[in-house]
Amino acid sequence: MTPNRLGHIEEIQEWLRAHLFDQVPVAISIIDRNYNIVDANPRFEKSYGRWRGRPCYEVYKDRRAPCTECAALKTFEDGKVRIREEKGRIENGNPMDYLVHMVPVRGPLGKIRFIVEMSTDITEVKKLEREKREAERLAAVGETVAGIAHGIKNVLMGLEGGMYAVNTGIELADDARIARGWMTLEENVKRISEFVKEFLDFAKGRKTKVAPVDPNLPAQEVSDLFRERAAQAGVRLEVDLEQGLREAALDQDAIHTCLSNLVSNAIDACMVAEQTREFVVTLSSREANGVLIYEVTDNGLGMDYEISKKVFSKFFTTKGSDRGTGLGLLTTKRMIHQHGGQISFTSTEGEGSTFRIELPRGSLPIPESENDIQEVEVCSLRTEEVTP
Amino acid sequence: MKKKILIVDDEPAIVSYLEMVLQDQGYDTVTAGNGNEALDAARAGKPDLVTLDITMPEASGTRFYKELRTDPELSEIPVIIVTAVTGLGGDKYAYEKFISNRSLVPAPEGFFPKPIDREAFIEAVNGLLAA
Repeated sequence: MTPNRLGHIEEIQEWLRAHLFDQVPVAISIIDRNYNIVDANPRFEKSYGRWRGRPCYEVYKDRRAPCTECAALKTFEDGKVRIREEKGRIENGNPMDYLVHMVPVRGPLGKIRFIVEMSTDITEVKKLEREKREAERLAAVGETVAGIAHGIKNVLMGLEGGMYAVNTGIELADDARIARGWMTLEENVKRISEFVKEFLDFAKGRKTKVAPVDPNLPAQEVSDLFRERAAQAGVRLEVDLEQGLREAALDQDAIHTCLSNLVSNAIDACMVAEQTREFVVTLSSREANGVLIYEVTDNGLGMDYEISKKVFSKFFTTKGSDRGTGLGLLTTKRMIHQHGGQISFTSTEGEGSTFRIELPRGSLPIPESENDIQEVEVCSLRTEEVTP
Repeated sequence: MKKKILIVDDEPAIVSYLEMVLQDQGYDTVTAGNGNEALDAARAGKPDLVTLDITMPEASGTRFYKELRTDPELSEIPVIIVTAVTGLGGDKYAYEKFISNRSLVPAPEGFFPKPIDREAFIEAVNGLLAA
């Protein structure tokens, strides 16, 4: 290296030492083992307010005691760099979302003496994310309301048909016709009730109740629930659940509904298959690269191209008026999206279908608990651990 | 000889209703639950008129309509669309798609949104079959 270049580098390093800490657009604080903020840059003071002589939990979160799952403490123990999304409360009382990097600073003997916390305010990003989710929800509700008319019109015409049969049956003193009309009326009234129930599920949506749960629990419940129905349909229901899956923040009832819909569809697909064979529906769970995966596989009818295009569209059903409202898979898709996940399928006509639900742990919702900030921070949206 | 009407709809209750109404008017009826069945039925015994639902699983009413209109044997059969798809409050997309696909072939002879105005429907059928 030429002396000239060396000179440049020294100059740059000098500048970095002197100014980076003060000018970087990231809030930086340095914390010791006793939760004291020993230093912070001007940007930090601008975001979080006065910090001298105050503990980190008070400045970041407006708390009176250390956080129950202090990530910095963990970094003091294991020396790993941590990246987390956190929710805090800044001095003016407003909530703030921030992304924080926690980096250990070692002393000359290798002991970790401080943690440098670099936080970026992501409140706006989070707000946009929430707004986008809400807009998507409203759009889905709007579509449903528009679709209701379509479903209801068919039911209405069924009711009119029933009335016509009853009325003309009375005129003609034709008991068989009266009975036929009455049956149509009963069927369509029942159908309306089913529609209403599904609309409520779909449009209003039950309030989601997210709590840490064993991912296999809803799967086990669904397999217990459908065992008898599958047997009656001549279908073997197999369960293949990966043992030892970590708890995940799920709406257990919603996952139950989704898996029920898929298993119910799979059994139906076997019942209408053209060839006879040993029908098997398999419900499985596993985890790969931080993604929870549920799969429901059947070797029933399978779908041709035309049908597979319409699987997730509203009011699409191949089951006829007595079996389906055409909302099951749409509801399933919505619930999975609410969990930050995806649903997809593969299908071969005449051979069967596989539906796959993928739930990345990093996108799962935050458990609710009466606005308790402590709970929120325990289950931060994302925790990445990087070994330095 | 009684005139024959082919009723195409995937809703059994609606098929049953139209069957009753049309039989009461003195017509023979045959029924089909989707576009493929309907085409088979039309080819097996040429109907004098078709009532057609648009949105059905499997082969849709749109496709059936196009095939019917382009089949030299069947293209003259009058068709009355009976559908819940009306463009207002319903599935607008499917209706627009139907109309756009229709542009290459002649328009249907009648169009009735569900639930149908029974008197007007009977009048339309009688009118088309009187000729």
